[in-house]
Amino acid sequence: MQNIPLEAANFIDLNYMNVLYLFIVGFIGGLVSGFIGSGGAFVLTPAMMSLGVPGLVAVASNMCHKFPKALVGAIKRAKYGQVDVKLGIIFGIFAEAGVFYGAHIQEKIKAAFGDAGSNLYVSVAFVVVLAIVGGLVLRDAVKTYRSGNADAEEQVSALAKRVQSVNIPGTMVYFKSLRARVSLLFIIPLGFATGMLAATIAVGGFIGVPSMIYVLGAPSLMGSATELVVAFVMGLGGSFKYALHGLVDIRLAGIILAGSLFGIQLGAIGTTYVKPFMIKLVMGIIMVIVLFSRALMVPVYLSQLGLIQTLNDTSVTILKSTSFSVMAFALLTGAFIVLRAMWQGHKAERETSEHKIMETA
Amino acid sequence: MAQQYGHLKKKPVVKMTVYGGLSAVLYAAVFLNQATITALFTRGSWYAALPIATAFAISFVHGGFTNYFWSVLGIEATKKSLRIRPEEKRSYDRERPQPQPRLRARL
Repeated sequence: MQNIPLEAANFIDLNYMNVLYLFIVGFIGGLVSGFIGSGGAFVLTPAMMSLGVPGLVAVASNMCHKFPKALVGAIKRAKYGQVDVKLGIIFGIFAEAGVFYGAHIQEKIKAAFGDAGSNLYVSVAFVVVLAIVGGLVLRDAVKTYRSGNADAEEQVSALAKRVQSVNIPGTMVYFKSLRARVSLLFIIPLGFATGMLAATIAVGGFIGVPSMIYVLGAPSLMGSATELVVAFVMGLGGSFKYALHGLVDIRLAGIILAGSLFGIQLGAIGTTYVKPFMIKLVMGIIMVIVLFSRALMVPVYLSQLGLIQTLNDTSVTILKSTSFSVMAFALLTGAFIVLRAMWQGHKAERETSEHKIMETA
Repeated sequence: MAQQYGHLKKKPVVKMTVYGGLSAVLYAAVFLNQATITALFTRGSWYAALPIATAFAISFVHGGFTNYFWSVLGIEATKKSLRIRPEEKRSYDRERPQPQPRLRARL
């Protein structure tokens, strides 16, 4: 953060087109976050940077929009009984530690290898984590869909059963979402990894939600809703850290928040209309598409570091714009699936109630 | 979405208007004074509380507005989602055997 005063002085002038663009991206990001608990933020930082916002200001303003959005989403989903506040806060505290450690690693890498090294680290983290976790989540969602048991109550994974069966005296805490006591010693590394990922790729939920579902044994709806509490805790601490350095552009955070609060309410409502496997499906699809987006950027950074043959400017520009387009496509695909699932759920509910009225008449 | 039982429920138009008005005032205050606010909010140190407090204020006011906005449009959660489900123990939750006090008679 050595260029902080310079970055803070470079707050951009906003015109109507910029405001509209950020509002729409915020809305779509909020819609996806309200539904799967995270995932909307990863496109906002590049979106702001594409308008000329300096990197650190974009990250700080994104963070400052994230925690109030997560708060509103968590309150909304708590009304539907989907939030485990205790798990969210405990998970969030360890995630916060992970955020600070992750940011520290980022600074070290940047100091040692420069911007290209830091970007390469972020892209490789994206590709590796999303390939493993995204692949597993998507596979599970498709398996559930094909099994014809999409309506049945979710089964707790064998790993989660094993985790819940371990009793370590003095560390056991009961969580309502798990309907079981789990040792804090399992939650610490999961929370920490979530925070580290959040500091690296801006979306900790890509580890947080799957770990709550597959490692701890939370149902998809509760895992994704509880992630909003984690995002609130992480976002609040992170925003304060950036605000201490004067990096938050409240105008940018406010505009994105204006759109994302519409989106997050809608996404949260959407969770009440869909079958639980839809959460996994949307998350898995977004993760796998984003994986390709970041993989496209790996040759650019390898070339900048001199590890492969230098790419010409045209190739770099094409790869960068394709990567951003694929990322935006991931978010739009997620939003489309959420809206379509909501529409179908609404239609099915309307048909059921019409059928009941006919029967009583 | 809740049109089928909409006649039973009054739409929160007044609340939406109040929160919407407050939200507009809040945003106008930020954007009409953006030079002053940007200078003040980026001083760091204790001034760091200002952007955080503003973000909280937006989440409360604008969050309230967006909530009532979707309600007025009839887009609400399914009724079944509002049912309170009693917590039940999972079948695989094993009760750990507790040692029972026994009386042992020695002959």
